[in-house]
Amino acid sequence: MATRGIENLKFGDAAAHESFLRYRGFRWFKIGAIVSLILIVVYLLVDVQPRHNGGSWLGYTLGAVGAGLIVWLALLGIRKRAMTRGRWSLKAWTSAHVYLGLTLIVIGTLHTGFQFGWNVHTLAYALMMFVIVSGIYGISVYAILPQGLSDSRSEMTGPQMIDAVNTLDKQLKLSAQPLADADSAVVLGSLDQDPFGGNAWRRLSGNYSACANRDALKCMRERLDQVTGKQAEPIEQIVQLLEKKAAALSRLRGYIQRRALLEVWLFFHIPLTFVLIAALFAHIISVFFYW
Amino acid sequence: MAFLLRNISLSADGREIVRTSRIRDDLIKVGRDPGCDIRLDDLAVALHHATLEQISSSQVGISAEAGLTVEIDGNTTQGGQINTVTGGTVKVGPFVLRILATEMGSDDIAIDIAKADDNADDEKFDTRRFALQTTLPGKRTLSWSLAAAVLAFFLAWPIYAYYQQRGAAPDAIASGYHADRLWSSGSLSRGHASLQQNCAACHALPFESVRDASCTACHTQVHDHADQARMRTATPDLGGWRRIQASIAGFFGQDPGRCVDCHTEHEGAQEMVPTRQQFCADCHSDLRGRLADTRLGDASNFETGHPQFQPSVLVRWDGETPRTQRVSLDRNPREMSNLRFPHALHLNATGGVAQMGRRLGAQYGFGQQMECRDCHVPTPDGVRFAPVNMEADCGMCHSLAFERIGGTVRTLRHGEPRQVVADILSWARGNRAEALDLGGGPRSRPGDVNQIRAAIQFARARADASPTAMASVRQAFTPDGACGECHQVEAPASGFDFRIRPVAFPVRYLQHGWFSHRPHQNAQRPGRPMVTDSQACLSCHTANGSSDATDLMLPNVASCRDCHGGETTSLPVPSNCAMCHDYHIDQGVPDALLRQQVRGRRWTTTVVRAQPVGAPAAPPRTR
Repeated sequence: MATRGIENLKFGDAAAHESFLRYRGFRWFKIGAIVSLILIVVYLLVDVQPRHNGGSWLGYTLGAVGAGLIVWLALLGIRKRAMTRGRWSLKAWTSAHVYLGLTLIVIGTLHTGFQFGWNVHTLAYALMMFVIVSGIYGISVYAILPQGLSDSRSEMTGPQMIDAVNTLDKQLKLSAQPLADADSAVVLGSLDQDPFGGNAWRRLSGNYSACANRDALKCMRERLDQVTGKQAEPIEQIVQLLEKKAAALSRLRGYIQRRALLEVWLFFHIPLTFVLIAALFAHIISVFFYW
Repeated sequence: MAFLLRNISLSADGREIVRTSRIRDDLIKVGRDPGCDIRLDDLAVALHHATLEQISSSQVGISAEAGLTVEIDGNTTQGGQINTVTGGTVKVGPFVLRILATEMGSDDIAIDIAKADDNADDEKFDTRRFALQTTLPGKRTLSWSLAAAVLAFFLAWPIYAYYQQRGAAPDAIASGYHADRLWSSGSLSRGHASLQQNCAACHALPFESVRDASCTACHTQVHDHADQARMRTATPDLGGWRRIQASIAGFFGQDPGRCVDCHTEHEGAQEMVPTRQQFCADCHSDLRGRLADTRLGDASNFETGHPQFQPSVLVRWDGETPRTQRVSLDRNPREMSNLRFPHALHLNATGGVAQMGRRLGAQYGFGQQMECRDCHVPTPDGVRFAPVNMEADCGMCHSLAFERIGGTVRTLRHGEPRQVVADILSWARGNRAEALDLGGGPRSRPGDVNQIRAAIQFARARADASPTAMASVRQAFTPDGACGECHQVEAPASGFDFRIRPVAFPVRYLQHGWFSHRPHQNAQRPGRPMVTDSQACLSCHTANGSSDATDLMLPNVASCRDCHGGETTSLPVPSNCAMCHDYHIDQGVPDALLRQQVRGRRWTTTVVRAQPVGAPAAPPRTR
């Protein structure tokens, strides 16, 4: 849903679909901006001695509002499971989630009074900022990557891309039958490699430095230079197939990388939200334990 | 003797297809090569992978080619044997060669050849594997485990540390790491740095804000500013917002007037911030309006709103007891010290005093004229001056010597008028006796006349007073005499019972404000050159214009305001209330100044900003 929402941004108001970011003419953006502005002005006008901190009346107020907001923002995880329409639609809720989440940067930072240290309080603040930044990242990649995602697939679906690799593998298997043991072992390396192999970092970076298919292709090309005549035929065929597979793998890996870049933010946004709530709880308890 | 091969494969709908062949040989090749007896078309199988050989009627040997392996009954090996009576399994690459138990009466060795399930490929291409999730721990697992770790590390551990410290000795707490430091929102001020490890020193009870008792446990000498009830009366009417704040704080058991209201902590390793002028002015700018019986004048800013100084002046005597009273300098109080002393005379550059000073200069270090320091000795801390001591501070010139005997000078005893009278009478008598030559001397002619004369002279000498001696005594106590020139004398109607009125000075004039002479040793009023020594003294105390000891030569507020302004001022010395007044009223140096000293900002001079050219030079203002 979110992806479609962003994609439709460029169609403007005339579009039948209104993204959650543009919801009701940026209603929540305006609310968030006004609240932030008011808070900054209040912060500058209020004279807290000896300096701004979380323990002044303004600090407590900002802290209470911020904590409440964090809990409410986290509730999107529950709310999103029920899609509804109208004033309290999920879209409205999501729009508010995004813009009030951004407002939390102002609320949280002013609450700290710009006093940071190696303690549970700054931990909670840092986690909050991580969550917000991961959210900003999520929104950004949803706006940018889906187009590239469809480009990278060359109008192919995921299963089609897999089938392409699979078909090439089968052809490789057949074509490699006449090969000598040493050569067939090289081809087997390409066949045995899991195209989905590698950890999350490899998926995100798209860096498959130890690609068996590439190694096999390189090796077979060298073999092609060495052999002549009838021996060269199967190897030539293998090289062509490996080249095709390299292209298929590249397309597949590009797609996997975009998927990973698109999905990775949730692995920060959601777990860090939980950690943030835990740290927030520890922060609040500690403040009043040692009041 | 033959091998009976049964090639088993699966059709698309899962039906089993069996192709049977029989090889009459006792040795067959297994491999990918089309020339092999058992052809296994998978790249995991070498062209010639292994050889099967019937060794005996009940044994089949399997040997893999050099560098290759097969799996015989689950064991990966280069070669082995299988009993045909029981049968066995040989795995070559993805293929399984099942050697069946030989049927009774048959010489053929039956081998089922099948390819292992190819499910691995299906799994490899599971479309769900496009998702990043397959390479990362679950979000739920991550969430709960990290949240639990944070709660354990940042909540449970510090709480445990707190309860562990409660019963521990302070020395034990001071060392080692305590997890409750994870809660510290900032470093303590430098004064409290030693408590950095000891949270419970101030945070005595959980969920209870820091109590004054924690402060007074160490700060035993701190005075309250004033009576709490009077302070509440004096506090200006809180605005609605501050009243709400106060009521919320009160709801949580935070009564106003706590130490921590002002002394906030965890603001970094800094010194205490100087108290702002407004902090005092909140109540004191209109104190009389709310606290009718106060004797304090309203004050808001030294430059623009500060009452005239009210020093404690010795205004009268109850018999021998001096009585001081706080009197505003505006009322021109006289100081009844009972001393007679013209400052102007002594400071005159040309008079007899200066002349005497020059004569005695070599002996006492006097200059061309008398300086203030020649008589006034500062206390060791330089704050004020030691009481004037007659013998040490005046006696250089005002000698009470009256007789020299050999190398010894006899002096009248200062402060003991009766002894003075006795000494003078004694001196008068002694002079006569000596003149009469009462010693053995030249022998006199015998006869009554001389004896009678001597007797008369002895009698006269022994008499209490001769007219000359009596005159000498009276002379000493006249206003021009050795005693009377400085002291007020109560002369008796008759006899010699002269009395001196006691002399006293207040040691400290300004009881509720702090003034130290030390930073004022060198003074420079705006538009004037810097002056030192006596000129610095005279820039505030107009001693050179005073001929009467009752002149109270204290500078007034206006005089100070030449240099000292309010907290923010165009005058050379911005002066907030805390420069002279301590919130926790005591007699000593205001804490604000002490802290400045500790921080190394000592005042050896009052450096005054140079006046802009053309600015009118203001004369020093004094009372």
